[in-house]
Amino acid sequence: MRFPRSSALTLAAGYIALGLAALALFAAPLWYAWRVTIQDGRYEILQSDALRLAEVFRREGAPGLVSYMNNRVGMQIAGERLLLLTDTAKKPLAGNMDAWPANVPENPGSYIIKMPMAGHLEDVALVHASLPGGYQLLVGRDIARYTPLQQRFWYALASAVCILSVLGTLGGILIRRALMNRIHGIRQTVSAIIQGDLSHRLETQRQGDELNTLSQTINSMLDQIEQLIQGVRNVSNSIAHDLRTPLTELRSRLEELSLTKPDGAHTFAEIDAAVTDVDRVIGIFNALLRLAEIDSGMRRSGFVPVDMAELAADAVDFYQPAAEIRNTGLELASDGSAPVRGDPVLLAQALGNLIDNALKYTPADSTITVAVRRLSNQSVEVAVADRGPGIPDTEKPKAVERFYRGDLSRGTPGVGLGLSLVDAVARLHGSELKLEDNRPGLRARMVLSQDNVKIVRSTRPTNEEEEKYHHEPVYP
Amino acid sequence: MKVLLVEDNERVTQFVIKGLQEAGHTADHAANGRDGMFLAASEPYDVIVMDRMLPGDIDGLAIIEALRKSGKRTPILILSALAEVDERIRGLRAGGDDYLTKPFAFGELLARLDALTRRAQGESAQTRLEVADLRVDLLTRKVTRGNRAIVLQPREFKLLEYLMRHADQVVTRTMLLENVWDYHFDPQTNVVDVHISKLRQKIDADFERPLLRTVRNAGYSLTSHD
Repeated sequence: MRFPRSSALTLAAGYIALGLAALALFAAPLWYAWRVTIQDGRYEILQSDALRLAEVFRREGAPGLVSYMNNRVGMQIAGERLLLLTDTAKKPLAGNMDAWPANVPENPGSYIIKMPMAGHLEDVALVHASLPGGYQLLVGRDIARYTPLQQRFWYALASAVCILSVLGTLGGILIRRALMNRIHGIRQTVSAIIQGDLSHRLETQRQGDELNTLSQTINSMLDQIEQLIQGVRNVSNSIAHDLRTPLTELRSRLEELSLTKPDGAHTFAEIDAAVTDVDRVIGIFNALLRLAEIDSGMRRSGFVPVDMAELAADAVDFYQPAAEIRNTGLELASDGSAPVRGDPVLLAQALGNLIDNALKYTPADSTITVAVRRLSNQSVEVAVADRGPGIPDTEKPKAVERFYRGDLSRGTPGVGLGLSLVDAVARLHGSELKLEDNRPGLRARMVLSQDNVKIVRSTRPTNEEEEKYHHEPVYP
Repeated sequence: MKVLLVEDNERVTQFVIKGLQEAGHTADHAANGRDGMFLAASEPYDVIVMDRMLPGDIDGLAIIEALRKSGKRTPILILSALAEVDERIRGLRAGGDDYLTKPFAFGELLARLDALTRRAQGESAQTRLEVADLRVDLLTRKVTRGNRAIVLQPREFKLLEYLMRHADQVVTRTMLLENVWDYHFDPQTNVVDVHISKLRQKIDADFERPLLRTVRNAGYSLTSHD
């Protein structure tokens, strides 16, 4: 069976290895302490025993030692102690051993050797000392009684290793399963999105872990993408819709020209009309490109101080004759300079669009007011108010959408992008176009500030909403 | 005037060259950056029309920059499909004198070329402008036609001044918007036409010979000729 590479399993294996290393580091000093205190201490006891016996030998000679040893063996004080005194020929003189063990090395020293004890071979620690006159002394001890302790230590260590490995593996598998479940969920959602359904979202909890945070981030990314795609879809639908009309006219005009082959004057008139059709298409394209340019936010780098009052005065001055021939008034209401930071070209265009819009819909003998007011040191309110039919409250949020227009504006030079351009310009400047009731009429208002770095995200309707209102006659 | 057209699109080239010839001008053509660079540097032209995106490794802006560095002051009109404001600014910074985006009307191109060559001849030092019996004194800001003084609003004065500086040329609506009002967008309604007709009322209405004429499919022209 081939295990799939998994970050959870790798992590678990890493933790197990780390645990084992910690265990080894923990056991090593323990083992060392064991060696030093038990084993070496054992030799020390045997050596001091041997020293004491040698002292007896030095004081009282061999017979003295023999009687001392026999005495000691007889007293059974150290039942576990092995004692043996031999002469030069290794013939036993005293002690509780029957014969000199064959496997004791010739040289005096401390050894561990195997010896038959009560029927079977056991480990025995021995101190072999040579006494003056060739006497050989053995002091030993059966260490078999320590073996279970030692074994228990090793068993404990081994079982700790086992438990650690098993728990680690189990933990790894559990973590992996939990992780895989979450990731599987994410993968399924993402697959659905790849298939083209952008409405899916990752599951999130109110309070969550890192994955939850990641999911939330991905969700907001998806929101953004969906909104962008929706925007593109809406715009391309609208482009298709709005370009189809002039293109159809153009096509039929040219085809008819080619078929009927009319006289020269008529032909030229038709060609001029065709050029006008093309200009209309170009106009829509230019407006859309301008909008895209504004929406990208790149223009923000070119912001300079702008006096809105001056800009408004210029715009009123520019549109004044157009208002006069329509018999409407165009008034400027401003009190001194109104400084903001912005793009003068775009702000002028936004003002122009608002006035242009007002001129289209306000009735004769009424007055359009362009008001520029300093709200504070930081912000300036710009409002264009007319006395036209206004926009119903329900339609207001949609009125700034691209190509939002109806029968009322068909045939006018606009392409339904005027207010959306104003809104885009306002958003670029950290503001928003507000459409209010002028009782009667429309009051289009935006508040611009000197410090307009924050980005206002546009809210676009869904496709269905777009479909719904696209065919209704609306303003403008 | 002698025009150099650096443009790789055959259709556009044919259209522009034919139009220029019909308007009584001579035009040379280069279809790539290398030829354009060579002609622009070696021949004396009154004005150069430069496409930005050209085949080969030299683009329009590079040619313009090289020409300006070598001291050539020939007026250059950039003709490009790159329409963003930033691109326009980049073109003008590189040394272009005017920027026209594709698609364009030939009338617009011709009017702008006329304006460019006229500007190159230099008449900014003038303090008095005259077209037939219409006189404008730029210092006192007085306008007279024949013996009669005409009172103009400041904006009307600026409009007339621009028209007089480009007398006998066609001036398009876009040129007026850009130069008189400094507006770089299409105001959709026919506001420029209304301004012109108001001005016409003041300078032409009471006189036998109209000076301010409408040029069909192009714009306006202030001219004493018929």
